[in-house]
Amino acid sequence: MMSRRGTAGVARRHRVVLGFAIACAIVGVLAICAGSTGWRWPWAWNAMVGELRAPRVLLGGLVGAALAVAGVAMQAVLHNDLADPYVLGISGGASVSAVGSLALWPGVAPGPAAAVGAAGAAALVRGLARGPHDPTRLLLAGVAVGSMLASATGLILVLAPDSQLLRSSTSWLFGGLGTPRWSALIAPAVAVAGAVAWLERRAERIDRLALGADVAAALGVAVPALRRRVLVIAVVLTALSVAAAGLVGFVGLIAPHAARRIAGQPHRAVLPVAALAGALLVMAADALARTVFAPREVPVGLVTASIGGPFFLWQLHRGVQRVVQ
Amino acid sequence: MTAPVIEAEGLAVGRAGAPVLAGVALAVSPGERIALVGANGSGKTTLLRALAGLDRPLAGAVRWAGQPLPHGALRVQAVGVLFQGEPASRFTVRELVTLGLGLDGPPSAAARGRVDDAIASAALAGLADRPCATLSGGEAQRALLARALVARPRAIALDEPTNHLDPAGRAMVHALLDRLRGAVAAVIATHDLELAAGCDRVALLHGGRITALGMPTDVLTPALLAAALGVQIRRLDDPSGGPPLFRMVATAAAATTAALDPREVAA
Repeated sequence: MMSRRGTAGVARRHRVVLGFAIACAIVGVLAICAGSTGWRWPWAWNAMVGELRAPRVLLGGLVGAALAVAGVAMQAVLHNDLADPYVLGISGGASVSAVGSLALWPGVAPGPAAAVGAAGAAALVRGLARGPHDPTRLLLAGVAVGSMLASATGLILVLAPDSQLLRSSTSWLFGGLGTPRWSALIAPAVAVAGAVAWLERRAERIDRLALGADVAAALGVAVPALRRRVLVIAVVLTALSVAAAGLVGFVGLIAPHAARRIAGQPHRAVLPVAALAGALLVMAADALARTVFAPREVPVGLVTASIGGPFFLWQLHRGVQRVVQ
Repeated sequence: MTAPVIEAEGLAVGRAGAPVLAGVALAVSPGERIALVGANGSGKTTLLRALAGLDRPLAGAVRWAGQPLPHGALRVQAVGVLFQGEPASRFTVRELVTLGLGLDGPPSAAARGRVDDAIASAALAGLADRPCATLSGGEAQRALLARALVARPRAIALDEPTNHLDPAGRAMVHALLDRLRGAVAAVIATHDLELAAGCDRVALLHGGRITALGMPTDVLTPALLAAALGVQIRRLDDPSGGPPLFRMVATAAAATTAALDPREVAA
């Protein structure tokens, strides 16, 4: 009886993950087929498919997975359902540092600078929101910091020549996957796989952390160390995403909520499902961005924001935000 | 003589460097039930948190079965904790209680059996797969108690276990605690004097110190309660041997409480 229940839970989790993986594969193939220059079957492998669309779609999937996992991690650590790298200004910190780095040192990859900026923004928001628990204060601090950093990014983009910024100003501000090389997929792929594996090994500890710091400590979790490490992972994933695709908002909010709704609360199920849901969301959003106004292309972040903004308001309306400490 | 499951000596605990609790010595024997009674701000929760290993003392020490508090899954076997006002989570009852085992990984068949036993003991078997956020206050409190007890700890620390519960909910929690009598040591911070009267010993706290410690019949007296709580309380003993009832009749004279000046704590 007990054994059957446990096995049934594991089997259900595997079915959900498999279902999302299949959905991701289908959306990925459709996204490779569709584009601003028309429909191309994937078996007609040519420069268009192999060198332009396929790496872009896969990078979109990795960016979506990274942002979703970062969202799951931040929501658990901050004990706040509305925590998301974009909403809390951490993506903004990564963006301003990446753009600043490219403006000053165009030959240097912007990833490390983005990580420093993301960490700085996280520390700033946490510092501003320090004190008695208050979800509103945390969110307001995040929104304020994010707005200030977006302004700073905009200023750098206006002042720096486009030739130094790797891609257009709009793609830094509103997201854009551009035309990445296959080699650009390596760092995000390693980071996402490593982060999911690391977090999965600690899924039960993260479950307890999501109940609040005091409860987690009473349940045997070394809270400060775990919280620090999980936040570092969230910051690194956010930084890599921003360095690869600019500001793609709300993925870290939508994907974890969808995952919890479908897979339940335990992070052992939520993490892989959220990663796949994030990948699916960004791949689908990018396909829409490339095709809806073809031959013109819309920044992918505008598509995710047009879904995420109303979703955020809906979550606020439901009053699901919660901070315990 | 059996070693205490929790022992505090010369304990001082503070917030932001200022002592809230000072000079506390308390030993909890295996299976013993001790109530911490006092007014708001008297240091009950602070003492309970220190005994549960949640706050580091400014001075003195707390030991659990003569040892420092272990980490990980061993910690939940040393002391289980029920927090006051913990928000209901969206985990199901079964998932929440499983987290009480402190495991790093999916539970084994034996662990799942232990979870089912704890859920059944809390009379929640029919609600095991319901999200805690959908339970009534009494059911949610019993789920949290089941989480505190599932690892079969040597002691439990309960902060206001009957607070905000209706009479039926209080009765259920009382019954659950009665079933544990003698098997698990319990330290209970409470304003519920009937619950305190059912304990083996009562510690009265005032101004961050234990002002009286002993049998409930010796400590829960009108004079000592007036000094500690600042109210006149009449005690109504049950001639048939049942638990006494307590009724507040008036606020106590200020002169009584002035004898226990909180400023002494800082000295």
